[in-house]
Amino acid sequence: MSHGLLNKEKLGFIYKLFKAMQKNNLNYIYRGVFTANITDNILALAESNLVHKEDPRALKRKVYNVMVEGLQNITKHQADIEVDVENNYGVFVLKKEHFKYFITTGNLIENDDIESLTKQINQVNSLDKVELKAYHREILLHGKISNKGGAGLGLIDMARKSGNKLLYAFEKVDEKFSYFYLHTEIPSKGAERSIINPNNSKTLNYISALHKMLDEENVLIIFNSYFNQESLMNLLSIIEKQMLNNVQQKKRIYNTMVEMFQNIIQHGDDYKETEEGKAGLFYISENNDEYLLNTGNYILNSKIERLSKKLNYVNNMDYKELDEFYDNRLLDFEIDSSKEAGLGIIDIRLKTDSKLGFSFLNIDDKYSFYTLRAKISKK
Amino acid sequence: MEALHIEASEDTPKIYFEPEVEIYLLEGKSLPENAIDFYGPVFDWAKKFFESSDVPDSVVINFKFDYFNTASSKQIAKLLRIIEDSPNNEKVTIKWYYDEEDTDMLKAGNRYNKLMNIHFEFVMNKE
Repeated sequence: MSHGLLNKEKLGFIYKLFKAMQKNNLNYIYRGVFTANITDNILALAESNLVHKEDPRALKRKVYNVMVEGLQNITKHQADIEVDVENNYGVFVLKKEHFKYFITTGNLIENDDIESLTKQINQVNSLDKVELKAYHREILLHGKISNKGGAGLGLIDMARKSGNKLLYAFEKVDEKFSYFYLHTEIPSKGAERSIINPNNSKTLNYISALHKMLDEENVLIIFNSYFNQESLMNLLSIIEKQMLNNVQQKKRIYNTMVEMFQNIIQHGDDYKETEEGKAGLFYISENNDEYLLNTGNYILNSKIERLSKKLNYVNNMDYKELDEFYDNRLLDFEIDSSKEAGLGIIDIRLKTDSKLGFSFLNIDDKYSFYTLRAKISKK
Repeated sequence: MEALHIEASEDTPKIYFEPEVEIYLLEGKSLPENAIDFYGPVFDWAKKFFESSDVPDSVVINFKFDYFNTASSKQIAKLLRIIEDSPNNEKVTIKWYYDEEDTDMLKAGNRYNKLMNIHFEFVMNKE
């Protein structure tokens, strides 16, 4: 069996995700069970990091409020469904592109609810700002319409707070359940004010393609933005609150994330280095046996040869050799700068006890896209 | 000898070196962006202290880390090397704390113990 190189398909997936991010863009995706703790952390991450600093406060509040409604919508429906469905994972996507915030949620609902949900959303979409306000009041006073405990109000709030239409889609899972996707957009500074056309199939395609991609790779978290210490700390707090029952496993994920992230902060290259950090992609996926931690970032072509050699060298060592190599490096105070302790990759290898996957995709005559994958066993 | 106090932050440990009450402690997480900058003042203090003539007969340094990254592990090695190289090295005991399930932290302590000529004691944290 070959290791080391990631196959072309996987590499394509990672790069496709990364390419989706251009200047000023970001992607944050969470897929899994939504607990109150995790919801709080997603909001905290958005508040401190994802919502761009130069955006006005009113806009930040708007994005935040729409996120709260969307996340509550997921947790509410999640609780409704008691049947053990294999894929009872909710999805939350926050994306910024071309001066617009996109918020998408996805969760499982019963097929019986499709009709009433469709009615509600169409009703909300048919109303203008003033009418929405009146509708909101009416429901508060007379409380009807929704048989799902306030879902109606949540939809109205999302529409009111985003100032936009709600885009939705249902994707049938089986005879009993479907995925319900809800999407809205909030323009930021410098963007044309645009109202979603609820019949725009392009956005719907984006949602289903994304869902497919997440399911195929079994992705749990994607972070695609600038890599800096602050974003690392925020992501770590989400990992810490994850309901992993094995402490050692959690520590190993934490540890590997730190080394991979800081490796990019120190060694990554970028077309344009910004104050915010280096552009990069990080995601965690899982299969039955392991968690997969993946990073992707730009690197100068001139560094590839040396880096490949180093990775192969470390990959080919057995535990005892790695352990000795670590000792030597630890006490080699000649290799000691803020840029390099020379221990990160050896440490990941030692603690995960598996080989690192890596690949380089040539971008142009100066840069390549470098992906690195570490595996953490669930055993 | 003056004390050295550094408050813990989200990504740096608490440092509490207080010769007057004979408490020497490093505690928490260590994963700063620049470990060399963070540990610089700790080295300066340690060099001064361990080379001075007023080192008491017994100095217990408590390492109570929850977690440290590899950049910090190198700086910790440097700190231990400063102690090892000092004329007072025989007076020092490193108390290395770890959680029962955290075998990586225990291994890290064992590694330093093996590599450094200093007395180590291992203490399992109580629930």
